[in-house]
Amino acid sequence: MSELTQELKERIIKQLNLEDITLDDLQDDTPLFGDGLGLDSIDALELIVMLDKSYGIKLADPKEGRKVFETIQTMADYIEANRP
Amino acid sequence: MTQAPQAVVSGMGVVSAIGLTVAENLDALRHARSGIRPLALIPSVHKGKLLVGEIPLSNVELYGALGIPEDEAYTRTALLALLAMQEAMAEVDLGDGRRTGLISATTVGGMDATERYYDDYLESPAHRHFIPTHPCGHFTEQIAQRYGIRNYVTTISTACSSAANAIMLGARMIRAGLLDRAIVGGADSLSQFTINGFNSLMIYSDTYCAPFDEHRKGLNLGEAAAFLVLESEATAHELERTPLAYVSGYGNANDAFHQTASSDDGEGALLAMQSALKVAGLPPSAIDYVNAHGTATPNNDLSEGKALVELFGGNEAVPLFSSTKAFTGHTLAAAGAIEAVYSILALSEQAVLPNLNFNTPIAELGITPQTEWKATQVRHVLSNSLGFGGNCSSLVFSKNP
Amino acid sequence: MTQTIYIHGVGAITSQPELLDGATDEVRAYQQVLVPAVDPDYKALIPALQLRRLNKSMRMALYAARVAMREAGVEQVDAIVTGTGLGCLTDSERFVQAMRENDEQFLNPTPFIQSTHNMAAATIALAIGCKGYNMTYVHNATSMEAAMLDTMLYLCEHPESTVLMGGGDELGLRTPQFWEQAGYLDTVRPQVPTPLTSPGTPGEVASEGSAFFAVSAKESERTVAKITGVKTAHDVTDMSAWIGHFLVEHGIGIGDLDLVMLGYNGDNRYDAIYRSVGEGIFSDLPQAAYKHVLGEYDTVVASGMALAVQILVHQRVPAVLRLNSYEPGRLRRVLLYNQRRGKNHSLVLMQTAGC
Repeated sequence: MSELTQELKERIIKQLNLEDITLDDLQDDTPLFGDGLGLDSIDALELIVMLDKSYGIKLADPKEGRKVFETIQTMADYIEANRP
Repeated sequence: MTQAPQAVVSGMGVVSAIGLTVAENLDALRHARSGIRPLALIPSVHKGKLLVGEIPLSNVELYGALGIPEDEAYTRTALLALLAMQEAMAEVDLGDGRRTGLISATTVGGMDATERYYDDYLESPAHRHFIPTHPCGHFTEQIAQRYGIRNYVTTISTACSSAANAIMLGARMIRAGLLDRAIVGGADSLSQFTINGFNSLMIYSDTYCAPFDEHRKGLNLGEAAAFLVLESEATAHELERTPLAYVSGYGNANDAFHQTASSDDGEGALLAMQSALKVAGLPPSAIDYVNAHGTATPNNDLSEGKALVELFGGNEAVPLFSSTKAFTGHTLAAAGAIEAVYSILALSEQAVLPNLNFNTPIAELGITPQTEWKATQVRHVLSNSLGFGGNCSSLVFSKNP
Repeated sequence: MTQTIYIHGVGAITSQPELLDGATDEVRAYQQVLVPAVDPDYKALIPALQLRRLNKSMRMALYAARVAMREAGVEQVDAIVTGTGLGCLTDSERFVQAMRENDEQFLNPTPFIQSTHNMAAATIALAIGCKGYNMTYVHNATSMEAAMLDTMLYLCEHPESTVLMGGGDELGLRTPQFWEQAGYLDTVRPQVPTPLTSPGTPGEVASEGSAFFAVSAKESERTVAKITGVKTAHDVTDMSAWIGHFLVEHGIGIGDLDLVMLGYNGDNRYDAIYRSVGEGIFSDLPQAAYKHVLGEYDTVVASGMALAVQILVHQRVPAVLRLNSYEPGRLRRVLLYNQRRGKNHSLVLMQTAGC
């Protein structure tokens, strides 16, 4: 687990109030939406804000978010590729 | 048809980005004159950039127009409400002994003042007389006090369907014989809170909103206030008032899908419209014009559009419809009330109101709104207001009982 | 229209869980002016994924509603009608704070969404999948009463329905500081139980809570109590006449009441109003107070009603609530009279089931 994925995991837990949920199974490749963790569209918006505020990357279209936020790994990859 | 007496609309008042009176609003609607412009009055980083339906009067000017001393604590929401009330109440004599209630609606309430003085309240006594103005119910009581309305006074807050629900409650209370007259409506001023709130949801368009257009990008916020005077048929008859319209139907249902987004098939909206038609005792085919909620967000227009297609039995069967939000912006809690006024104008003018900024129908729906003012027979109008929390309301206004 | 509301299940979250649980004599003491409601184990009734973002007013409402439904033995309802004075205060504050600190940039949408006043009613609808009528009244200290009046009207229109009816408010963080500036709060000696004897001190002890009732228009073997009348007025000039008129409208006289619950809250500027009716029109009746232990908030009447149900079911008035020495015999009819800061007066008439 890289430093970035670890950092992302901690940020996500805090931002989305996931502290009480058993996160032993939250791996780098656990699907965050749908059948995995079960996050919703409001969580997606929160992740967009996090991406902007903490990593300086602006996602103009919320629909783009679904692909980027598929797993912690896809998020980390996207950040690495698009960091200003 | 129903046995219980219907509520008639015997007066109305409206203030919005397209006019400070019913007549001014009507003129703008007739001449396709939108009131949406870059934000000018509210202190915000979005000033000069975000497009809004702002009423071009500062708070100082509103105090002046109402003759209220500036040292009295009235929020912008309250001031707009009082301006609309002034027009609505012009023909009403509360000394006539009729049991009169006031049912108002808001989402902003006094937040326009609270956000302005958020730190100031703690640092200086200068504006602390505004502290009591924060709650939604405060300006309702200010209105009730000013006019001497006593029989029943309350406030509804269900996001964007609030004023429609206020109209619904007034009509129900009149039908049940609890009131002879109900002043119903709502008000919301623009505020940093709501502007930034909708922006954070990424549903705020960076250009003029285009309801029901395939390439719509989101909404423009607006501010407004409107009140209707509802009376029982007997009261209106005794006072020799010509009804502007009848509140023949109303319905409220919940989408129960998501905190803010509408369900894919618009079930909540469908249920609300079906309820309203049931109360009115009308089949869908009786509706001549639908004044849609039509905020121009990708989600709402698709969802509401699907509900319309389902209700009317196919995209070919959907009657003439439009959203007037490209004129006024989305006025949140006030929307149900100003759009009730517009629906009633459609009845009095025998015309369908235009849906501005439309170019391409939503591919998935295959329905096209009415883009120009159209003189045509209008007997029954269906007006939708759909709010956060899945709150869906629908009203039917009719020319005759 | 006179429509009785039959209560089949009640759920309440307050700062006094033991008191509400069977009208016991157990009352928690507090030495502070802002008294939070005691959180139950929310996870027992609300899945963690749903619970995580809910602010206190939403989670209290959902929990209380679920308890009420469970007690009533219903899986679904036809309508949800609620009242709140200030809605979701903490999320409103959070969003304003964020706007100011970040110059309107990088704003998280969750507090904005959850600041909407009808979020409690919406949360319940979403959780139980209720697509029916859903209404929220936000009218100061008569928000719960407005919800009750709408429920009465709704039940008249839909006599076969079940309705979840409730009211709640949460404390904020910044807003109570404004209340202090506005002179609402007791800054001298705030405590719970709040002393109610003269001369007393100005100011309230502010609290929070939520109470929900699963109700219908028909009595059943699960009915625990009923509401037979509700009335509100912003200002009342002749209190005795107003109350007397209300009783006449409901076909009863003063002597038909077994208990009157008065909304004393220890604020000596306004408690005099209760004293005048306590020594006047209600002087021969057993009297009780409840806000001196539950604290003050716009929808505290909902929690007071939940307490009244316990009193009626268990046929006892806890000693800590009693204001006078009149011993109630059989407790059949209870009248709650409330006002806040001299305004927003309300009367709620409740009765035992089965009579």
